Amino acid sequence: MIVVIAVVAVLIIGAAAAVVLTSDKKGSLLLATTTSTQDSGLLDYILPTFEKEYKCKVLVVAVGSGQALTMGQNGDADVLLVHSPSSEATFVQNGYGTNRTSIMYNWFVIVGPDADPAGTKNATSALDAFSRIYDNGTSGDCKFVSRADNSGTYTKELSLWAALNSTYTKENVTQWSSTWYLQAETGMGAVLDLCEEKNAYTLSDDATFYSRVESGLIPHLNITKTGDSKLKNQYSVILVNSTKWPHINATLAKDFLDWMSSKAGQDLIKSYVLYGHQLFTSNAPGYTSTSLSHTRMTVAASVPRTARG
Amino acid sequence: MTAPVVLEKVTKRYEDVVAVKNVDLETREGEIFGIVGPSGAGKSTLLRLVDLLEAPDEGRVSVLECEADSRSNEACTIRRKIGMVLQKPVVLNRSVANNLGYALRIRGWPEEKIMPAVDRELKRLGLEDRRTKNARTLSGGEMQRLSFSRSTIFSPKLLLLDEFAANLDPANVAILEKLVKGYMEEDSSRATILITHNLFQAKRMCDRIALVWGGEVVEVADARRFFDDPEDSRTTAFTSGEAVY
Amino acid sequence: MALDIGYDVVQVTLLSLYVSGCATTVGSLIGIPLGARIGLRQFGGKGLLKTITYTMYGFPPVISGLVIYYLLSRSGPLGSLGLLFTPTAMILAETLLVIPLTTGITISSVTEVDKAIKDTITSLGTTRRQGEWTIMKEAWVGIVMAIMVAFGRCIAEVGAAYMVGGNIQGQTRVLTTAIMMETRLGKFDYAVGLGVVLLGVAMAVFLFLKYIQEKEML
Repeated sequence: MIVVIAVVAVLIIGAAAAVVLTSDKKGSLLLATTTSTQDSGLLDYILPTFEKEYKCKVLVVAVGSGQALTMGQNGDADVLLVHSPSSEATFVQNGYGTNRTSIMYNWFVIVGPDADPAGTKNATSALDAFSRIYDNGTSGDCKFVSRADNSGTYTKELSLWAALNSTYTKENVTQWSSTWYLQAETGMGAVLDLCEEKNAYTLSDDATFYSRVESGLIPHLNITKTGDSKLKNQYSVILVNSTKWPHINATLAKDFLDWMSSKAGQDLIKSYVLYGHQLFTSNAPGYTSTSLSHTRMTVAASVPRTARG
Repeated sequence: MTAPVVLEKVTKRYEDVVAVKNVDLETREGEIFGIVGPSGAGKSTLLRLVDLLEAPDEGRVSVLECEADSRSNEACTIRRKIGMVLQKPVVLNRSVANNLGYALRIRGWPEEKIMPAVDRELKRLGLEDRRTKNARTLSGGEMQRLSFSRSTIFSPKLLLLDEFAANLDPANVAILEKLVKGYMEEDSSRATILITHNLFQAKRMCDRIALVWGGEVVEVADARRFFDDPEDSRTTAFTSGEAVY
Repeated sequence: MALDIGYDVVQVTLLSLYVSGCATTVGSLIGIPLGARIGLRQFGGKGLLKTITYTMYGFPPVISGLVIYYLLSRSGPLGSLGLLFTPTAMILAETLLVIPLTTGITISSVTEVDKAIKDTITSLGTTRRQGEWTIMKEAWVGIVMAIMVAFGRCIAEVGAAYMVGGNIQGQTRVLTTAIMMETRLGKFDYAVGLGVVLLGVAMAVFLFLKYIQEKEML
């Protein structure tokens, strides 16, 4: 009887394993990126083209910005796609990565309840909106929900507070009264849900906001301010230091970077539409919509590729 | 003739309680040796010491001419020559046939030798039709008969019975007593120790009887003398049912 | 709905089964004999060992994930194996979590077996190993329960699975990490749907385990 059990168990596990175990690692690229990037749906849209052209598989691990950079530092990823400019600069400075290249940007949006108690719709700038939120918050007329984690969104929020008033450092901000400043330490979507519940403001990325609206989860929230240069959310690709980590797929990583910044990649990124909104603006160096040329950094003599550009 | 069981000045304690105190005992081949006494007197402890399930705190225990530490491999070898039946019927969660064959399998007997032995016992017990049924479906009496067979199928030299018929109806008691007597008659070098509450049973079955009282052996005598003309007054009191304790 | 989800739910389900099945199997193969030994033998520190085992029932899965992550990271001691973000890493993390469960429940089960049975088995002349094996068979119901609990723990595991697996589509995405992702995306209907699939698969496994638990022993 034990034999029967063992046989059945082995069969089930074996069948599952056969389905599951995948092709060799040579043709795969491990891309560490942020949850908001993956959740926007962009990667599902653009990666198949890259995979087909380079006959490879891109393995996407979506975590917080901070964790993605740490993965690069530890050699656990081949290439990074992140949006945390100050941390990125430090990362490259410390020698953990190379070839940091701007790829695209989208917008952070200030989101608030229908009633707009802080009057952010009339704000003249992002900083003005934050100023109004702070004043109304501290006087008890409105609330703000913060990500309070290691995400790019939180980094941006802190930079806005600091730009508003240089005394608003992270240490100070985290001490603000929780009667109006709620530190949620959770994902963007859940933060928006919380704002819906509490009639609060927050700083969000546009993709998550549109997705949440589409799902019907946040009927009483609106974008009250965006388009300010301070709300620009810049994405960059960084190659992990292949000298330090010889095991990584450096060739494919470079191909990825080249392709993302090529006309083909940039056009594709720009064409991604989420619920009727163009989410990303391609801004790799040297790219314009009418650009015909491209820069190719590596020359692979024998591999036939479809022409790019 | 050698003594199958020898206890010399054996003492056994369980925490603060002295279960058995300074006991001297010796049994003989071919005899059924009875142990009687009030509850809690230490009878079961003696049996456990003989079966090498426990070690004495003082004194020596020699079983089948061997003194072995209860945890040693040697003890296992000795136990393979001892059969024990407890008061509560104990069957393993498997078929009747596999219960019977268990003791043989652990001794490494090949299947061709196990099958006929099992068949023989099933016939003796009258349980042939229950061969493939799970042993837990048997009645109390049937289970106890099964326990007896299971513990004797490997022809042990020494049989230890701890109130083995205590919970059974008279018919089953009779069957089991007959099984024991039959077992002893098969081979005159076998020996049995029987613990019982039932004085009638002791009279029926035993050659010699010991009275254990308060952890000590009070008297050892031939069955007839034990009941008719004991030396110790406690024995008289016990057998007459007038003992106060 | 399922057609729209963007990835292969069947593959995700099979991967869940594979990871949970392996972790349960390894965790049982280690924990059950270990638990039997601890439960049936006397040794110094037995009580302490039991307490530690039971305490580990509450071991935070995230810590297990972290431990495996640090071990398997390229910058960690086993980095050269390249096992991070693979199903193997998930199996390791889940195995670590279920070993206390299989061990502890087995300890309880073998201890529960009637002393009369244990004495009888010993008196029949078993070696220690033979005796332990027989007692384990007598404790069959409890031991299968240990396997059930272990499987339940594995199939429901999300934190450690995400951390060492990375929820990579087609590679390490299992039902639980997919549910977490869909919840984050606000796609609650997908999340619930995946949850139903998970329960369905779990039920099938538990039905099988229940069957072998209750099967009449011969």
